[in-house]
Amino acid sequence: MDFNTFKKLVTEAAEEAGISEYELYYSTSESTDVGTFKHEINEFSSSVDGGVCFRCLSGGKMGYASTEALTAEEAREIVARAVENASVLESDEQQFLVAGGQTYKEIEDKSYDLPDTAELVKTALDVDAALYAADPLIIDGSQGGAGILAGRIAIYNSKGLDLSCENRAAYYIAAAVVSKDGEMSDSYEMKIGSFKDIDISEAVNKAVGDAKAMLGADVAPTGSYPVVFAPRAMSSLLSVYSTVFSSESAQKGLSRYAGKEGEKVASDIVTLTDDPFYKDSAMPRSFDAEGSPTYTKNVIENGVLKTLLYNLKTAAVAGVKTTGNASKAGYAASIGIRPFTFYFAPGDISEEELIKKAGNGVYITELGGLHAGANAVSGDFSLQSSGFMIEDGKKTDKAVKSFTVAGNFFDMLKQITALSDTVEKPRSSGSTAFCSPSVLVEGLSIAGK
Amino acid sequence: MISREVCARVLSKAVSTGADYAEIFVERTVNHAINMISDKVDSINDSVVAGAGIRVFKGLRSVSASTVDTSVEGLLRCAEKAADALGQGTAQISVELRERLFGDIHPVKVVPASVPNSEKVRVLKDGYFAAREHSDCIKQVRGTLLDVDHNILIASTDGIYASDRQIRTRISISAVAEKNGETQTGFFGPGRRMGMEMFEHEVDAKQVGIIAAEQAEVMAGAGYCPAGVMPVAIGNGFGGVIFHEACGHSLEASSVAYGLSQFTGKLGQQIANPKVTALDDGTIPNAWGSINIDDEGTPARRNVLIENGILKTYMVDKFNGRRMGMEPTGSARRQSYAYTTTSRMTNTFIAEGPDSNDDIISSMEYGLFAKAMGGGSVNPATGEFNFAVNEGYLVRNGKICEPVRGASLVGKGSEVIMNIDMVGKKLDLGTGMCGASSGSIPTTVGEPLIRVSSITVGGR
Repeated sequence: MDFNTFKKLVTEAAEEAGISEYELYYSTSESTDVGTFKHEINEFSSSVDGGVCFRCLSGGKMGYASTEALTAEEAREIVARAVENASVLESDEQQFLVAGGQTYKEIEDKSYDLPDTAELVKTALDVDAALYAADPLIIDGSQGGAGILAGRIAIYNSKGLDLSCENRAAYYIAAAVVSKDGEMSDSYEMKIGSFKDIDISEAVNKAVGDAKAMLGADVAPTGSYPVVFAPRAMSSLLSVYSTVFSSESAQKGLSRYAGKEGEKVASDIVTLTDDPFYKDSAMPRSFDAEGSPTYTKNVIENGVLKTLLYNLKTAAVAGVKTTGNASKAGYAASIGIRPFTFYFAPGDISEEELIKKAGNGVYITELGGLHAGANAVSGDFSLQSSGFMIEDGKKTDKAVKSFTVAGNFFDMLKQITALSDTVEKPRSSGSTAFCSPSVLVEGLSIAGK
Repeated sequence: MISREVCARVLSKAVSTGADYAEIFVERTVNHAINMISDKVDSINDSVVAGAGIRVFKGLRSVSASTVDTSVEGLLRCAEKAADALGQGTAQISVELRERLFGDIHPVKVVPASVPNSEKVRVLKDGYFAAREHSDCIKQVRGTLLDVDHNILIASTDGIYASDRQIRTRISISAVAEKNGETQTGFFGPGRRMGMEMFEHEVDAKQVGIIAAEQAEVMAGAGYCPAGVMPVAIGNGFGGVIFHEACGHSLEASSVAYGLSQFTGKLGQQIANPKVTALDDGTIPNAWGSINIDDEGTPARRNVLIENGILKTYMVDKFNGRRMGMEPTGSARRQSYAYTTTSRMTNTFIAEGPDSNDDIISSMEYGLFAKAMGGGSVNPATGEFNFAVNEGYLVRNGKICEPVRGASLVGKGSEVIMNIDMVGKKLDLGTGMCGASSGSIPTTVGEPLIRVSSITVGGR
């Protein structure tokens, strides 16, 4: 059955059970992806999934239950399960539902026609052909890919809230694998946006160029020197450490920023912003996962921690207003906290000048194993890296890989000595996108040979 | 879940445009997790995952489609979508399904869904407060008791009509210790493919909390690990993640079939140190990564991947096996109906060897003993991998010395498995979740204590 029919049945079951405060959160997504191997479409997949999360206040506690099976039986079941789950909860933090009738910022309509299957197939094959044509070192396993993703979220509650939003996006991907003297190297580049008037050559050349550049890479020498994080590398580091700006982490003693609002936590030149309406965002949002209106805020402004990110529960604990950063890691998850598009504001020098400032050091293009080698509680990181040596103020073509960069995120924010004026498109990680210019950090440890 | 007759109709629709293979995977999974933080039961995640995925192959092409609508009409629509995407054509094969019973080699005595929340909370609290009360320096603890009831049904034009019910239970405790303003974390999270009886004889919840708290306490007092290239001894159990990352992923057909593995074309060749024998065994009774049948309906198998350093087989699924000319090895796995199945690991470990633990440690003049490992990742094409050391100690003159924090290990898989030159006698297994294109799946890693003669240690 559809969501509206299911909603009606759940509402009836909730009222029968004497539940007066409840919410339904519905999320569904449809995607189609195609990929090539050796000039043919090798895999085609089309997926539909999604479900409903019911949560309700029972005895002052917020119980949750979710399902993907929208049936009459499940409608009664999730109400009963949510009440049962609430009955064993012990946390005494107050829980809230958002009342209807709030004002939400209008999102500029930037939607475009999604490509149909034939266009996806053609684009993937075009990318595949362009990859093979781009360089004689390209080998089988190089791949063109294309796809679409359309998602819808709806929140409905007993306090008159009834919101929904849709996000649709198309993408294509160039994955290059090159081989020389038995050594393989790979890289990929993805573009999100309309397929109208697309020029695939930029993505293809970038992927091929990046893969070739790492052929014959050496291991970086061990030592402590200036490190320049390229935008992609710093964005991925920021994605791991975004949780330290969560008020929930702070209140639970899992972030060093507890009680530090208003204090200096970074170099004067550092400003870190959360913008739900970021101009290049693939999924702008006017309401958060609780239904609160969202807005743009500086989390760090000129080195000072201005605010942590809040939802209704943590804001009540702190005695402040929510920052509209309630989130859900999937429809079935409990309410947490995340930024939307989270980015370091660009600085005022070019990347060349920034590298000149570094003098002798390492330019890191990629970081690996972030889920393992970076600890958000202690701030310590030790991460697999690849990039290029910087010598005499210039980025050389001496590629380096299989080394680690180690430091502490909290200390690192104070060791940032320059940010470039580079502005790149944000990179999505789950429901959040991250973005950064190139960043110069003094004195990080490199472990290599 | 879905009758044989309906499956046959759906498969007939799926092959109607000329596919030479079709398969339907139907799922109903109940996930249940109780979470504690700040000494209180804080939240419960409770969700039902239900839907179906249909795949069709024609030669070396694969089409997959998934749906949440498992009514007969919904499944037929999904099959039609897959058939249409394959192209124009007429049916080439007929569908005959025969029910197969594989039996259950992983018996479950206490199905978690039949146990009330209050009883589960009691077990979780045993582990939670064992960590909380372990030492004054423990400032915060997080604990989760997770159970999963994963029901799958697979029918395919190979004639398979088979189902499995995979029940898993896991407790994980994460402790935060603070000493002199420095915070560090400790983690332990054992799980089994069994029910709540796991806590009767397999896993002591209190011990789980103590291990997590001890690790946090030791690491909070530790200095930074020095950087450099050195010999490293990696502890048994979750230490086996080194094989999982450095070698396991590169033996999956999903990379080998496309030449995107450092081990493509190396069957029968020496790829590892002769001390290394490694297996992927989905049949270990009640192990976390065990299955009765894989997600294509192939029975679980014990696959010897490497024997005395010689590469014996890859892990192969039906689709990639076509390109490789190899039979499936019981390795096809997917997180759920919404993901496309591919070859993955189950319980993967380095087998026991001849060396004593004392000999391994005393052989090291200066190096690192990585007692507990964290997660890692790998690029199968280049073999470059990384993984984190959660609890490490320096070794000097053959003796384990002070603890060190913030270490990670990086290297190239094909080189590191050649450098595993000592293998201990006592195998232990560790519980993990592995993420890849077909989603997040439960996998076991394992090994005895091993020595890697030379590897880059990331520290400062």
